[in-house]
Amino acid sequence: MSGLPDGSVHIGPLQLKNPVMPASGTFGYAEEYASFMDLNLLGAIVVKTITLKPRVGSYPHRSTEVASGLLASIGLQNVGIKRFIEDKLPFFEELNTPLIVNIGGESIEDYVGLAQLLDQQALVRGIELNVSCPNVRKGGMHFGVDPEVLRELVSRVRQVTGKALVVKLTPVVTDIRPFGEICQRQGADAVSLINAPVGMAVDIKTRRSRLGKNLTGGLTGPAIKPLALCCVWRVCRTVDLPVIGIGGISSLEDALEFFIAGACAVQVGTWNFINPRITLEIIEGLKKYMEDHRLRTLAELRGTFGGTDTKGQ
Amino acid sequence: MEYLVLRNESVAENGYRLALDLSKDHHRPIPGQFYNIRCSDRMDPLLRRPFSMHRLTKENGILCLQILYRVIGKGTEWLSVRKNGETLDLLGPLGNGFVLNTRTDVVLAARGIGIAPLYAVAETVRALVPESRLHILMGARFKDRVFYQEELERLGSLYLYTDDGSLGFRGRAPELLLHLLETGKVPRTCSLYACGPASMLMELSAISQRFGFDGQVALETHMGCGFGACLSCAIPLRPDSIKKTPLWKKPALQWSEDGCTCYSLICKDGPVYDIREVDWNEWLA
Repeated sequence: MSGLPDGSVHIGPLQLKNPVMPASGTFGYAEEYASFMDLNLLGAIVVKTITLKPRVGSYPHRSTEVASGLLASIGLQNVGIKRFIEDKLPFFEELNTPLIVNIGGESIEDYVGLAQLLDQQALVRGIELNVSCPNVRKGGMHFGVDPEVLRELVSRVRQVTGKALVVKLTPVVTDIRPFGEICQRQGADAVSLINAPVGMAVDIKTRRSRLGKNLTGGLTGPAIKPLALCCVWRVCRTVDLPVIGIGGISSLEDALEFFIAGACAVQVGTWNFINPRITLEIIEGLKKYMEDHRLRTLAELRGTFGGTDTKGQ
Repeated sequence: MEYLVLRNESVAENGYRLALDLSKDHHRPIPGQFYNIRCSDRMDPLLRRPFSMHRLTKENGILCLQILYRVIGKGTEWLSVRKNGETLDLLGPLGNGFVLNTRTDVVLAARGIGIAPLYAVAETVRALVPESRLHILMGARFKDRVFYQEELERLGSLYLYTDDGSLGFRGRAPELLLHLLETGKVPRTCSLYACGPASMLMELSAISQRFGFDGQVALETHMGCGFGACLSCAIPLRPDSIKKTPLWKKPALQWSEDGCTCYSLICKDGPVYDIREVDWNEWLA
């Protein structure tokens, strides 16, 4: 084998130098991680969901730990698109890592408006649609569980932006595959999955939610990895789109499972809180793995899952 | 970053004191700042646990970070059985610390493990203003839960309290402070530093307003990351009382569009706040 292994991947018009990026909602606006790592080493950066107006987010107490997982209701706290462009975007001028901005809205018009504004920003290289936030009263999950609404949403956003368009899907549906197909037909460049499924935890002393007034939250962390992996595998067998795997990734081995199941890239979420350098460790580990296994490109690994489907899945 | 455990000793029922070698780290914590420690070598418990800086000492030429903690769950239980020679994974120092002033009379009001960061305040005040008078209020629900008496007596005037009256003043810290103010044992020109349950801090806040002295509180909460990324540890502040200074920049404030609600992140803007700026009613609701 000659030369270094090539871990690059394409997502629509975007070429990423490696397939590892942080998941939206776990990486702030990236500046929070600058003291821990060289952000230029990441495949891409996905920032926290931005909405048209600033949002203070959910009531305290917003998170609680469960077995191998984190249950959280942040409620899309964010600075809003205006302040994001004015105050947060300039930070990316110094970086060459592609920036993907995750957006959320209460109506299709919100998403279209956000996409139009971001389309004008040269520093923004991709848009990820959050159609599955479990923790907001209006919109949020609604867009990701209704096929008709998702179809119109993706189609309308596609019309106003030529940037890489990723749709982040929820597992809280009977069958996730048709939602992937809708994204493909409406011109999305990739799908990312899974967003956090909804969960709850009860304080048996008070008989109230451990998330206070929020009652329920999104479950993330290692606890959801098997669920995420299965969704990724199914969607990869159904659509002819790059699939970005998300859900409970905490190590190179976890990331490899997603690649083998068919993902072209991965997003690392909750584990960033535990090890802020985990994305870089996975990138380094992947390079070594490819060298050790004489893989020239990631395509040689992608979708090599060898199970026989005896249940017609 | 990995830190060597020098000691991990029991100091009270369920209370432990951890000493770590800080000599390889060029960051120096100030009182009120905290470290987020990985208290697990597996997936459960999952998240790091925040611990405030308790003491910074020099032992045999080694700079030593001390953490005082109480075993309350799986994470602290794991921590309590770590032995010297092992290493621990710490992030820190994180957050904003106390801004110490030069008032002569300093009141430290703690409940239980809340004494951990206040001890650091006491030692720093002692070093900065040797003539200062330290009034230390320390207590718990009942006698057996009160600890650190000898250590605290060395630092200043110690006033013990217990809810059931089994040791010292019968009542809680706010009631004891009120008593000391009304009887003139603590002058109204004091500065207050407090750490304990939010309900206690809320009552202390009301007393500080009534008597017109200033105060700072160190808040305890569950955190996700400890460095401002997960937005878990939000606390409502009173929009008209927010204190921003060069030392307290508060980079993580999030205002509602109408300007009526403001959330702050305890890990980033805190964990130390001015006693008047927290919206206690909303926080405790």
